[in-house]
Amino acid sequence: MKRNRYKPEIKRNQTFALNITSMTDMFTILLVFLLQTYSTNDVQIDPVSGVRLPASNTDKNPVNGIKISISPTELKLDQLKLASVTDNKIEQAAIDPNDGEFIKPLFEELQKLNEAHKLKPDIKIGKILFQADQEVPYATLRKIMYTASMAGFPNIKLVTVVGN
Amino acid sequence: MARRFKMKINHNSEFDLDLAPLLAVMVKLVPVLLVSSAFVQMMIIETELPQVVQQAIAKQENNPKAAQVAVEMNKKDGIRIIVTENGQTKVELVGLNSEKQIDMPALHAKFQAVKKSHPEVFKIELSPDADVPYKEIVRVMDEARKSRSNDIKFPVKNEQTGQETSTEYMFPEIVFANLMDG
Repeated sequence: MKRNRYKPEIKRNQTFALNITSMTDMFTILLVFLLQTYSTNDVQIDPVSGVRLPASNTDKNPVNGIKISISPTELKLDQLKLASVTDNKIEQAAIDPNDGEFIKPLFEELQKLNEAHKLKPDIKIGKILFQADQEVPYATLRKIMYTASMAGFPNIKLVTVVGN
Repeated sequence: MARRFKMKINHNSEFDLDLAPLLAVMVKLVPVLLVSSAFVQMMIIETELPQVVQQAIAKQENNPKAAQVAVEMNKKDGIRIIVTENGQTKVELVGLNSEKQIDMPALHAKFQAVKKSHPEVFKIELSPDADVPYKEIVRVMDEARKSRSNDIKFPVKNEQTGQETSTEYMFPEIVFANLMDG
């Protein structure tokens, strides 16, 4: 006698309902979190790698400007590396031998921007968004601010993170 | 006699809410919010000031006889607040606490006291020493900018209407005085 092999009954037209309740819960939590971090600022500043900004309770939103950053390893203008930094000090080769506060590559780049944008007639137009690592001493900050002032950018905005 | 129709309600019945459209909306919203989210919120120091405070700052700058407040920062000794008025100089010292850090609550109290005695002054000249870290400078600027207490406000005169109003701002305009010293 031939044995009948078991064949599972498959209904070709059968549909099944996926339980999406837990997925909806997850999306709701995600949505609330994203709504909290949603930014309505016109200007977004990208954090510079290696720069730990100090915390401040200021409530002023960022504005457009030329971005200068100093991390424990380098001084940058936007994405362009201007000088190396060692022990929170700018390398000696970048400093003018006649003026210890003057950073030559930074001045030259800012001058180029001045010429390109024709900002020279009204120096107060030039705004700088300054992102500095929280451990950088004032002596190094002063060199950058001094050079920026000399290049016609006296309006320096200090970028900080929100917090106390 | 007509029988009254009675609707049968099954109290034990269950129904499935169709969550698919809600999920479809969320799936579209999440990428949009992900793109526009700022996970590290950044701000800049240069507070937008109320108009009356801006007028008061302009008035102070036009008045050479107004009191001048200078703040010197030193890593070893702490903070010296120097108030110069009519040729006379008064120095207040805020030392370091037991953790060798600047005593910020004491500094804030000193700023409030200086502001109370000189409500017309809105500008301070900050002179940190070369070795003072940036984060300490920002903290001192925070302490000087605004009164932390909502109860403590300072009088300021509206130059246009002549009315006296109050502000929580103490010294919102901070100038690095030793920037060009070299």
